[in-house]
Amino acid sequence: MAQPLTSGVAGDIHLLLGNEAIVRGAIEAGVEVVTCYPGTPSSEVPDTFFHLSKGGNFSFEYSINEKVALEVGGGATLGGALTLTTMKHVGVNVAADPLMTLAYIGTPGGLVLLSADDPGCHSSQNEQDNRIYARLAGLPVFEPASAQEAKEMTRQALLLSRQWEQPVMLRTTTRLNHLRGPVQFGEVRKPTPAGEPVKNPNRFVPIPAVARARHAQLLKKFEEIGTWAETTPFNNVSGKGEIGVAVSGISRTYLADALMEFGIDGNVRVLSLGFSNPLPNKTCTDFLNSVKRLLVIEEGEPVLENELRVLAQRASLEIEILGKGFAGLTRLGEYDTRIVGKALAKIADINPPPASTCSILPETLSALPKRPPNLCAGCPHRATYYTVRQVFRDTVFYSSDIGCYTLGILPPLAMADFLLDMGSSVSAGCGFARASGKTVVAFIGDSTFFHSGITGVINAVFNNHDLLLVVLDNGTTAMTGGQPHPGVEVHAQGPNPVQVSIEGLLAASGVTEVRTVNPMNLKATRAALDELKEMTGVRALIARAPCIIHARRILKTKSDQVAYVPTTTNSIRACLETLSCPAFTVGQDSAIAIDETACTGCMVCLQVSKDIKAHKRRNK
Amino acid sequence: MIRTTRIRVFLTGVGGQGTLTATKVLAQAALDEGLDVTAGEVHGMAQRGGVVESTVLIGGYQSPRIAHGEAHLLLGFEPLETLRALPYLAPGGIVVSSSEAIMPMSVARGKESMPPFEDIEALARACAEAVHFVPAISLGVQAGASQAANMILLGALCAVGRMPFGLSRLAETIKTTMAPRLHDVNIKAIQLGAQAVCVDNSDK
Repeated sequence: MAQPLTSGVAGDIHLLLGNEAIVRGAIEAGVEVVTCYPGTPSSEVPDTFFHLSKGGNFSFEYSINEKVALEVGGGATLGGALTLTTMKHVGVNVAADPLMTLAYIGTPGGLVLLSADDPGCHSSQNEQDNRIYARLAGLPVFEPASAQEAKEMTRQALLLSRQWEQPVMLRTTTRLNHLRGPVQFGEVRKPTPAGEPVKNPNRFVPIPAVARARHAQLLKKFEEIGTWAETTPFNNVSGKGEIGVAVSGISRTYLADALMEFGIDGNVRVLSLGFSNPLPNKTCTDFLNSVKRLLVIEEGEPVLENELRVLAQRASLEIEILGKGFAGLTRLGEYDTRIVGKALAKIADINPPPASTCSILPETLSALPKRPPNLCAGCPHRATYYTVRQVFRDTVFYSSDIGCYTLGILPPLAMADFLLDMGSSVSAGCGFARASGKTVVAFIGDSTFFHSGITGVINAVFNNHDLLLVVLDNGTTAMTGGQPHPGVEVHAQGPNPVQVSIEGLLAASGVTEVRTVNPMNLKATRAALDELKEMTGVRALIARAPCIIHARRILKTKSDQVAYVPTTTNSIRACLETLSCPAFTVGQDSAIAIDETACTGCMVCLQVSKDIKAHKRRNK
Repeated sequence: MIRTTRIRVFLTGVGGQGTLTATKVLAQAALDEGLDVTAGEVHGMAQRGGVVESTVLIGGYQSPRIAHGEAHLLLGFEPLETLRALPYLAPGGIVVSSSEAIMPMSVARGKESMPPFEDIEALARACAEAVHFVPAISLGVQAGASQAANMILLGALCAVGRMPFGLSRLAETIKTTMAPRLHDVNIKAIQLGAQAVCVDNSDK
């Protein structure tokens, strides 16, 4: 099928995921370089670019972490390329260092940073509001609220970044990234480099003398951009009346629907901000001056609210400003039409529409069996975890990291005692072991190892830490959907001819005791762990077997054999209790069976219980 | 009974069931019909085996979200998940759901038990104006593949009479969005799904 994102022409309307709309916007702007580290909810942006990269007019890379992605992107824009760098909100923490300086020295080719925030922690360890990062660094911010806006704003952000020579933040939230809506395409601008790069160390090398001058430049530039913000149609005032609502980001959609549902569309004065930093101060002050009571609706932190309070105070306005803490508007999680509607009804003094008439008690619902995500049947991490637990039980502490394997927290595996951030299992594990004197077993995935695990390893060797590191190498970046990294053998677009060796990196870092095993071989894994258990210092087990989804989709491997239970015995019960493979089921008569469609034929359970047997797969 | 030109559909199921494909087809069908549409989904965090929720909002909504009490139609891909999502129903809403359970891990391992199907049905009837349970997986197999259960449910959804388009629109969208080798199975599936609801209606 033709790929509309590249071949689509102006006027076409396609139903796109928010993340796909961002890709189209970048293509329309003529993006030349795209760098990223994948992370939900941003992942489909780089994944789509990756898919389009063969024959595309842009250069694309999966960088090893967000800092590197922004540094490569930063170098590209200094070299004159129109550049997009994408990551999830916590990724910006990793990239914060180059980010602060890029705003000082500027971006001659143009550079947009996509920060995909995750209020509600759908797939993240926190719900930080990166609008604050934009204020810290001095980045103009676009906050789209529909697929169409995602496309338009990405295009505009890139082109304005080049015009302003300043980095721009495209700040999205999970709901925007993962919504689907119609998008009307515009013209595709041909990629055009900004011209020959010019040597200018007085701008681009921020030694203190340069940095001081550039800071002043940044503030001046920001003022100019504030003037532009007064005129952009992405910011607008509508409606009439003494009650005002100021709103930004995806909350603009919740407000629009609540106004429509209440039938008071037009009877409330609304300041809608799609370009939210720097604020259009004049527009905002005029707006504050035109209403008596103001409700500020924004998910996350009271960023807009506080800035409007400052403006009101500066202009000595008698206005009541309500935001966080009013009518259930919290700093926690996501908003929706009902939450916004409730606050709107309270300030506008109208009755909200009736809530659900469903009479099910919350207790009934909370008592239902939960359905948490789980390590897949046949996942090699399950086998590794099983054996580590057999060897160490609860006598050690398990330092966890970010990836599918974090799901090993669930009992009976229970393989996660603490976790800070991506790459922390190594370094936090070292600190924990030194402080507590306890043995720490740290787990890290292959992609995470390259992301920021390796720096922790180098530190651990240099500082004589005591750590047993287990590298769970499943040959792909599994959790975010199977993206390649330097260590993979093969990925969606073919073999990786320049595979970087984890063993080689460990050896070069000074880790002398390294064992590589196939975790599906429990005996060999156990023997290696028993050996490493007796040692001190930094030592590592590499547990290498492909992610089962990667094996099926990319490696095209599938087992013809599956496990089955001839008769339920105590040893099979024990296997179910300790291995907890999701292919096992317990019938009403307590008989254990193995679901043949779920079983991948990994045969780990046969090694746990001699009573489990293998036979040929019956259905294809 | 609600008569609205605007429709909010809440979809819920288990990772791997094709709820997101169904969401895409439903939203595309609305767009092909010339209607305003916005849709949303929650995925990521290795949803395999976890709960997947998505939304399709037709007729001029801007938000991709559905809050409790706002769904005119609840499309459940699995009865336990249908039950869990009942608070999303708006007064006068309709439930269309698969009747065939997929055990959560805790149930498969014998640690917890599923609520009896009769209880799920009774609770759904207490919340909804109409409830239609169809054996989606079995009918999918009848159509040619168990994976077509998602299209069985879309067919059933369009047959209850609240959607602003019918089976022919759905069939057209299947033809334009799916690979040709999948057309027959999926079109058969939407027909079987629709029939299941009609049989169900005549029983009442």
